[in-house]
Amino acid sequence: MTITIDRASPVPVYRQIVQGIRSLIASGAWTAGFRLPPERTLAQALGVNRTTVLNAYRELKAEGLVEAHVGRGTVVAAQRPVADAAAEAAEIPWRQLFRTGLGRSQDPLLRDLLSLTERDDIIPLAVGLPAPEFLPMAALRDILAGLLSEVGPAILMHSPTEGVTALREAISRHLAARGVHRPPEEILITSGCQQGLDLVTRVLVDPGDPVVVEEPTYFGALEVFRRAQARVIPVPADQDGLRTDLLEAVLQHRRPKFIYTLPTFQNPSGAVLPLERRRHLLELAERFAVPVVEDDPYTELRYDGPAVPSLKELDTAGLVISLHSFSKVLFPGLRVGWMAAPRPVLRQLALARQGLDLHSNTPGQWMLARFLTRGHFDAHLELVRREYRTRRDLALAALAETAPPGVHWTRPEGGFYIWCRLPAHLALGRLLAQAAQIGVAFLPGPPCFAEEPVVNAIRLNFTFPSQEQLREGITRLMAAAAAILEEPAASGRTGGGTPPLV
Amino acid sequence: MAIQFARRMDTLKASDIREILKVTQRPEMISFAGGLPAPEFFPVEEMKHVATRTLSEGGRQALQYSTTEGHPPLRRWIAERMNTRMGAAVTPERILITSGSQQGLDLIGKILLDEGDVVLCESPTYLGAVNAFQAYRPVFMEVPTDDHGMVIEELEKRLAENRRVKLIYVIPDFQNPSGRTWSLERREQFMELVRRWQIPVIEDNPYGDLRFEGEALPALKALDRDGLVVMLGTFSKIFCPGMRVAWLAAESPIFEKVVLVKQGSDLHTSTLGQMQLATYLEMYNLEDNIAQIRNAYRQRRDVMVAAMEQEFPPEVTFTRPQGGMFLWVELPAHINTRTVLQRCLERNVAFVPGGSFFPNGGKENFFRLNYSTMPEDRIREGIARIGAVLREALAESASPDLAAASQ
Repeated sequence: MTITIDRASPVPVYRQIVQGIRSLIASGAWTAGFRLPPERTLAQALGVNRTTVLNAYRELKAEGLVEAHVGRGTVVAAQRPVADAAAEAAEIPWRQLFRTGLGRSQDPLLRDLLSLTERDDIIPLAVGLPAPEFLPMAALRDILAGLLSEVGPAILMHSPTEGVTALREAISRHLAARGVHRPPEEILITSGCQQGLDLVTRVLVDPGDPVVVEEPTYFGALEVFRRAQARVIPVPADQDGLRTDLLEAVLQHRRPKFIYTLPTFQNPSGAVLPLERRRHLLELAERFAVPVVEDDPYTELRYDGPAVPSLKELDTAGLVISLHSFSKVLFPGLRVGWMAAPRPVLRQLALARQGLDLHSNTPGQWMLARFLTRGHFDAHLELVRREYRTRRDLALAALAETAPPGVHWTRPEGGFYIWCRLPAHLALGRLLAQAAQIGVAFLPGPPCFAEEPVVNAIRLNFTFPSQEQLREGITRLMAAAAAILEEPAASGRTGGGTPPLV
Repeated sequence: MAIQFARRMDTLKASDIREILKVTQRPEMISFAGGLPAPEFFPVEEMKHVATRTLSEGGRQALQYSTTEGHPPLRRWIAERMNTRMGAAVTPERILITSGSQQGLDLIGKILLDEGDVVLCESPTYLGAVNAFQAYRPVFMEVPTDDHGMVIEELEKRLAENRRVKLIYVIPDFQNPSGRTWSLERREQFMELVRRWQIPVIEDNPYGDLRFEGEALPALKALDRDGLVVMLGTFSKIFCPGMRVAWLAAESPIFEKVVLVKQGSDLHTSTLGQMQLATYLEMYNLEDNIAQIRNAYRQRRDVMVAAMEQEFPPEVTFTRPQGGMFLWVELPAHINTRTVLQRCLERNVAFVPGGSFFPNGGKENFFRLNYSTMPEDRIREGIARIGAVLREALAESASPDLAAASQ
């Protein structure tokens, strides 16, 4: 029993007893029919006057929470139905029925962004999508039709939770060709990277557990952590990614369940964590015994500069869980991705996956396996890499030509995004409003921060829009930014501090 | 490095069924353990045409991200069918495509359950649902069921005693594992009660289309006036399970919350899978396929029931389901079906012991038989083998020395 009395509190002692008992009943610790301790016993246990307990019980009785029965003492009352049988049902108390914290979740940002891509009148620089015009439709059609003959009904059946063996083997061979040794047993097929994140969180995080993220970070990850009721601890990132020098201090004070990082072509900043920082990060993780979740969907999309080994490749202590995707190089609609984890962790992930959705779409997995083993993947990668490099250069040139002074942007060596920092006094809300008018969608920076954003920035995707759209979109956007900066009144509105609430 | 897992992982154990299924994959095994649809009815030839057409006509759209709610033509088809066949009144806007019913269960757990909340369920109930909810660490309370469904007085008693009941999970049609179907009267009483108590209901309906005889009864969803019922349906049992395409029908505000949470879980269900299904539904008549499945399963049930009546000792009782895939066997209370299973496995025949279908445990004298996957001669042979083991077990338990030894 946990009724605590705080004598320093301004709340009268009998009210404190009422509150204590009320929460015991609400929590289900005391169920209907439970006999409350006799007044004298409780008074002695709490070190209070018997009259105080008497008053508390009287109040609980008045609230209908307890009932007094001759010979049985005071018992917790049975709950009553909410609505009368005859009457129309009362308003359903959904807020009490929903899980704690659910109401605080952010808007379905990604869903809104995706729906924008369906509109012809908006230039889509917001969403991280691959270019649709290069999809290898003919190869896929042949593979899919052929599979039904070659494999037969098995491609329509349930498949193992860990994934179709042919696909796990194909991924393992694909990695081996790149010099990475990863046996199929350490690979788990997921329904996309997002599920990988959800799964890791489910296996490692209890409500209230701390999780370290770099800032800015992938907004979809923040959403998963929030929903798991994790305490998100942001560590700043600069143009070279996570500030590992600042991480150490955090790890000394907290014991996070894991460190979530996107070290290669980061989303949203495009940054690549240099080799020394990667080693430093792993050294800290090992010293403080904290697992690292490496989100790695963009690695293969390098346009220039030398490759840097992934954290997973550098890991000798078995503490890196890495998340991978086919959505960025190939196509996202299949919802098939994969993750790599040390075997004991992989076992737990597979177990948790059973309750989640059993396994990923079977024909989709077979299709990807064939796509990889027949060499289509590498051919396709070559094609899109060339095209994305051109688009990136075009976007950078457009920015150089049209951006007003005070706007700074990253020059990513790969990936999907340019992170564009705006002058601190440029009101992002004004730009968003303008963007709708000029027909350009972009991702505003704030959702990429766990708390208050520390920089005024936007994220631009350069892979999905066509070359013409890209040039036109950036030009319009920068013209709008310049116009806002030239309106002293408009920018003054945000520079004037917090307006009073009236 | 020793990784500290979340507390919920303590309660997640490899399930009985999973372990048994591993053994039953041997070809000599006659398995009544699975819950799988029969692969001979998968429309493989049709799917070749579907694949070509989906990727030719659907084109790039089939491989792109799509909305979290799902492919609109598929949602329309589902809503229409629910309305005509189950007497529901749902709109396509309130249908969410999920990656299997299992995901529907998980999403519901994710929006409703805090640690320590109470989930009421039938006793026995579907193991997969218990697994899905378990991740949110609720307390399961089993409500006794009889041949007509949940016992209403028992349900009311539990509602009155517990303030933290967050949802009631039920399978009113051809329940897994019992094969029982709720009567109309019980459905109406149940809905009256949940309306008064305003508790959300998860109506899991994977088998409703597999009715062999008798009149179809209205779904709880069709009797719901308050938006309390969330109904789960799936293509796994009437089409094929590998696609992982199922649906959830719910009203506001549950619907919006579930969509939000699905986005964080996997963004959306495979676009290609959804479009293949929609193309199939456009090119072929799924009802023909369902009728074929229904006929085959009816015959297999008949064969199994007839064999059981002949082979099983009279102390053993079992349900005679009017549809679905399972029937449920009860032995005298002192016989443990896990022991019976061991002996059956030695004779190459398998089933699932009933203990795992009671979330709070304690009942070991039941087992579940699946009749949908085995051909008729194998059903006869398998039931004869189980019958022999049952007779032995009963004879031993009647002799006091051996009874002690077998416990």
